[in-house]
Amino acid sequence: MTLHPFTPFVLVGGVAALAFLLPPPVGPVALYGGVLIAALAAGMGGAAVAAGLVLLPLWGFLLLLHGILPGGDGYPAAVAQGARLGAVATASIMLLRGFKPSRFLDAASSRGWSLSAAYLIVSTLQAAPRLRARAASILEAQRARGLRAGGSPWARVRALVPLSLPLVLATLTEVDDRAMALEIRGFRSPGVTRTPLDPPPTTGRDRSLRWGTLILVLAASVWRFG
Amino acid sequence: MSVLGLDTITFRYPSASADALAGVTLDVEAGETCWLYGAPGAGASTLLMVAAGLAPRFTGGSLSGQVRILGVDPVEESTRHDLRGQVAWIGTASDIQFSQVAETVREEIAFGPANLGQPMSRIDAAVGEALERLGIGHLAHRSPAALSGGEQQRVVMASMLAMSPALWLLDEPDAALDSAGKEIMARVLREEAGRGSAVVIATGDADAMLGRAGRIVLLDRGTIAFDGPPRQLLADELAWSRGPGGTSVAELARAAARLNPDPRLMAPYPLDFDEAMARWKP
Repeated sequence: MTLHPFTPFVLVGGVAALAFLLPPPVGPVALYGGVLIAALAAGMGGAAVAAGLVLLPLWGFLLLLHGILPGGDGYPAAVAQGARLGAVATASIMLLRGFKPSRFLDAASSRGWSLSAAYLIVSTLQAAPRLRARAASILEAQRARGLRAGGSPWARVRALVPLSLPLVLATLTEVDDRAMALEIRGFRSPGVTRTPLDPPPTTGRDRSLRWGTLILVLAASVWRFG
Repeated sequence: MSVLGLDTITFRYPSASADALAGVTLDVEAGETCWLYGAPGAGASTLLMVAAGLAPRFTGGSLSGQVRILGVDPVEESTRHDLRGQVAWIGTASDIQFSQVAETVREEIAFGPANLGQPMSRIDAAVGEALERLGIGHLAHRSPAALSGGEQQRVVMASMLAMSPALWLLDEPDAALDSAGKEIMARVLREEAGRGSAVVIATGDADAMLGRAGRIVLLDRGTIAFDGPPRQLLADELAWSRGPGGTSVAELARAAARLNPDPRLMAPYPLDFDEAMARWKP
């Protein structure tokens, strides 16, 4: 069953708070373990792998800094930091991969949120995949014109300008064009409430997860600072 | 009744050294189809953006003169919201016109009417009708991003149609369409003009547009060089001297006239195959 679009945001916020509230190293490691289990249970093991691949160099650096080099805080500190990052990154990638813009917009509309604010959140979350797609098409176009984007490190560096400049310029142009298109489609209509096409229901599971997260964060805060 | 009124419009883009539009005056009536014709850079796209109230608000630049849509100023902050949903503007890049929030074509088409706060029953009816009229019912549950260029163009058109606009402003709407798509789009626009909308189409495709518009406006460096019946302009040398040329058949006749100064090959040029056959048949 799909969660209400707001619930994953509460969960990711909760994971981020707990990662720094739970006592290290056991707390962050247990939290990371819990997030990994949740990812597998939700069929989003790929998100955990993606987060692991992104964090791999950082984990190595943490081990070097805290464990191997003199003057560090020791291996437990490296493990705690690594687990914190792992938990937050995995939860965030799960949020991004499961994010449905139309459901989010419908949920925001039915709660009376400002359409512009909701669209801003949607655009931000979708920026990365859109940029990746545009970058891929620019790379193809430049390759067709004879650009050699592979090979030696020097060749790769030289290819950066003809690849990044069109990307930046196209992105800037696209912002204006998209704003015009949205305007024509009644996006900014003062005094008008957008009709939610299929407002997602807030189920008992959503409430349990949201309240459970809040209670866990409060309990961890009391335990840590009380 | 005038749907679009432009009165001595002069527009210049920021940092440009010349006006993109210079003293343009144009009235388009309800039920009229007006074809903007001109060489690249003549000002047709700019005219559409000014008419839609998008320039200079989104483009920057300076505008003088007066724009009126259904008697309302689309540029003025206090009045332009009265026109929401009344103007359909379709730019040259169809994928940019998508909302980026819809997961299906049906949701994409419903985006505009939903923003206008229309009731769900009306949105459903409008979306169903738009899907049917554009012949894209089979795409209703597909992702807009996964469609071909021609399919995307039809979805954009359907998205505008669902808002029931009074004024259509289209910039090269046929660009990505195959011949079947062009026919469908022409039919829909004819029907829209028939129900009282005003249609303004900017395109350089003379062959496709011949017979689709009752009026042609030739733009040359931001000014109106001709305003009248399409056949009159396209058969005349003016279409070449101040515009991008005529139809393929007229182009052929003009080329032949250069080789053989036969009076039957001279202007006014035949515009289509039937006219050429009638004129040239021994």
